[in-house]
This record gives sequence, C-alpha cells and structure tokens, in this order.
Amino acid sequence: MLVVRLITSITIIFSCTFIGYYLANRYNKRFINLIKLQNCIQLLETEIVYCSTPLPEALENVYNKCDKSVSFIFKDLRNLLVDNKNLNVYEAFSYQTENLSKKLYLDFQDIEILMSLGRVLGISDREDQQKHFKLVLMQLENCQKDAEEKKQVNEKLFKNLGVLTGLAIVILLF
Amino acid sequence: MEEQMTSIYKNNLYSKSDEFEQILKYLDLDLSNILKKIPLLTRKRIEEIRLRIGRPLAINYDGKDLFLKPNGAITENIYDAYIVNEKNIRNTFQLISNYSVYAFEEELRNGFITVNGGHRIGITGKVLYRNNNIYTIKEISSLNIRIAREKKGVSDKIIKYVIKKPNTIYNTLIVSPPQCGKTTLLRDLIRNLSNGIPRLNFYGLKIGVVDERTEIAGIYKGYPQNDVGFRTDVLDSCRKFEGMMLLLRSMSPNIIATDELGEEKDIVAIHQALKAGVKIISTVHGESINDLLTRPYLKQILKENIFERIIILSNRKGVGTVEDIMDGKTYKSIIKKEV
Repeated sequence: MLVVRLITSITIIFSCTFIGYYLANRYNKRFINLIKLQNCIQLLETEIVYCSTPLPEALENVYNKCDKSVSFIFKDLRNLLVDNKNLNVYEAFSYQTENLSKKLYLDFQDIEILMSLGRVLGISDREDQQKHFKLVLMQLENCQKDAEEKKQVNEKLFKNLGVLTGLAIVILLF
Repeated sequence: MEEQMTSIYKNNLYSKSDEFEQILKYLDLDLSNILKKIPLLTRKRIEEIRLRIGRPLAINYDGKDLFLKPNGAITENIYDAYIVNEKNIRNTFQLISNYSVYAFEEELRNGFITVNGGHRIGITGKVLYRNNNIYTIKEISSLNIRIAREKKGVSDKIIKYVIKKPNTIYNTLIVSPPQCGKTTLLRDLIRNLSNGIPRLNFYGLKIGVVDERTEIAGIYKGYPQNDVGFRTDVLDSCRKFEGMMLLLRSMSPNIIATDELGEEKDIVAIHQALKAGVKIISTVHGESINDLLTRPYLKQILKENIFERIIILSNRKGVGTVEDIMDGKTYKSIIKKEV
C-alpha cells in the first residue's frame, strides 16, 4: 500500500511541477517571440522602404533571413497572397492570425498590433509605409517590455506554484 | 503595289497567343472568369480592356468600343453588360501593383503601370499634389488595360524605304493617329535594323532606345518583353531628352529610337544626336503632313528637313495600313513614284 501511495504522490508532484513550468515557460516564449517578431518586421521595413521590393518577394526574403520559428508566418502570408487572387493583404493577415495564436505564444494585443500592420501594408507610398512601421515597432516594443515584466513576476511564481500545489495535494490526500 | 497599301498587320502569323492569358493573371477573379469565356479568335482582336467603376465592362475590339456580357459574349447593348464594381477594380489594381503600391510610386505619378509582357495599364482616380507635382493617385476609378501585341515582321515590307546604302538608314518619322500601330511598327523596325537583314545586305546597327513609357521594349525586371533585336540597348522609363543625351554619351549608338516626339526639348536632343552623326527613328501623333505643320515644334523639325523619310499610317484598311511613305525634303510619295 505504501508503494502505491508513494508512486501516486510522486506522479502528482511531477505533473503539477510540469504544469507550473509549462505555464511559466509561456511568459518566456512570448518574450522571445516578440523579440524575433520585431526583427522580422524591421527587416520587412528595410525591404519595403529602402529596397522597394514587391510585397510577396519581401515576405519571402523575411522568411529566409530571419529566425524560422517566427518568420514562418510571413512565408504563409506570402503563399496566401500568391495563391488566392481575391484576398487582400488585410484578409490574408486575419486569416493567418487564426493559426497565429496556436503556433506562437502571442497575446491578443500582440496579434492586434500585427493586424494593424496588415491593414496598411503595401497600400501606400514608402514614406507612409515607414511611418506605419515606426508605429508598429514602437507598439511591439511596449509589448516586449510588458512581456518582460510579466515574465519576471510570473515565471518564478508559476514554477514555485506548480511544485507547491503538487505538495499540497499530496499532503491533503494522505 | 496594292498589296503594299493594305494592312501589313493582317494575317500575321507571328503574334503570340498567350498575351491574353498573361493579362488574365492580373485581373480580379470575377473579371477573369468572364474574360476566360471569350473565344480564342475573338481574343486576338481585343486591343483594350476597360474597367470603370459602376459602368459596363468594355473592350476595344477592332477599333470599336463594345461591352461584355457576364457570360463573356460581346454586346453593343449597355443594359446586358456586366457592371464593374469597386471590388473588381480594387482587386485588379492590387494584382497589377503586386500588393505593393510603394514599389510603383513613380509609375503612379505617370499614370500607368507596365506589367509582365509589356502590357500597359493606365490608371485614373483622384490625383494628389505635393509641391506642385502629381504626388500619387488614390481612389482608383478607371483602369485601361492595353494589350501589347508584338507583331514581328510588320516592317519587313517597308524596311527597304528606310535603309540607305551603304549600311545606314534615313532619319525616319512615323506619323499616325492613335491606335494605328505606330509603336508596333517602330518596334519591328528597331528589331530588323538591330538584327540586320541579310536579304538586303544590311548588317545590323547599334540601336539605343529611349523607352519613356515602357512600350517599345516593355522591360520587365531587366528583360525586354518584346523582341527589339540583338544590338539594342534600352533606357527604360527615361524622359526623351535626358535619355537621348545619356545614350549619346554612354552607349555610342548608330541609331536612336524613341516614341512620340513633340516637346521643345526633344528637338534640342535631336539636334545633338545629328551633330554626333546618329540617325533617328521616331513616331508622332498626327493624321497627315499638313496636320504636323500646325504644331509649334514639329513644324520646326519638318522645315529643317531633318527627317528624310516620313511614313504615314492609318487604320483605313485595318490597324497599320501604310498610307504613304514620303521623302522628307520634297514631301513626294516614294511608293507611288516607284509604281
């Protein structure tokens, strides 16, 4: 009987710890995603504002040059645009954001910022595009700060919480 | 001789068949579905496709302005025609500009975009000004898609009037009303003169083309979409005056070819070219010599007898009917003289 108790307790503690770490990790992942996303958008800005590269090509270049763990969204966007004649850029973005929250660890507000970029991408001249890029990058930087703060506060909290919850359940049960 | 006078473009077997397909790629899905239904033989005779917001889908077919039904049939009745909506225009513009308005700033200022295949798409809408210059066009209301048809061989019959022995050419001016094939003829002359014509013992010459509207060579990403010959250098989207001077300085051409003369500066450039011993081929809008003599700058050129050959086109017997070829000094027809 003791053996069974021991195994159950260990399982409970481990799984709670794992959940805690998983939740804590999300904060870290969002922070990293946001940094990489900013890199991508900076590169997209260069492609558009300085090289005047047409959008599908620019998106492909961003995919190739940036960290693939985030930049895949730009490749997907490009494919959506090229394959569907009746989709405009904003529609492609909104289509894309549905998968975005599943594949990346972004918050609602981060995605909203990306969408705001989708609304203006490619529809105006370079000067105007640059202004939009500036705004989006600034907003993303704020998000990054927010993510960093949350990470510092919550990461440890969730890790500890996981272990402690596991222990608490075990104590209460037995 | 009668043969000479009839359309040189008729029964042309060299024309590419896929121009229409190229255009379809740039059209909104609804529109391209309608245009796809047009039979092959009809397609070849369509010169323009015109989209205007809230108005019937129109085509220019054999010089006539007709409308298209939703099933792709051609009609003269406006009430049967497919009405172009805002979404059609927006999507088409998006495809033409490849989702990237910023990449076509300069083109928008000029009011047209050239797409792959050398087809020119004219744009109208609301014009915005900045510093007294057209800054951009927004709220696009009409698109005019001109299907560029390269017709190789159209100049074969008249080239002997342009060539001057030994191995040079006469300064030539092509005079024609709009849509009578003046650019097509110019392009084919360039191709022939650049490649050389063994049949006439003519060895090819170096040709510099100033292609202000990207119509002659239709450069797309550096590649001429139309055959302009082996010895041809193209200066794309460059203003005529600057372009001609640049070519004179840098490319040592034997011939400079350019489209649609008419400005004061063009004449300065022509004088410079002549000083350098370079021959000129060009085109101009007009119906006849008398018509040209009423224009301020052209009158001057004609009086100086710079152009030694003047080719007059019309669409009397189909697009590209050669009305007359004249000697630039005496204004006497050379074709008729030889008959």
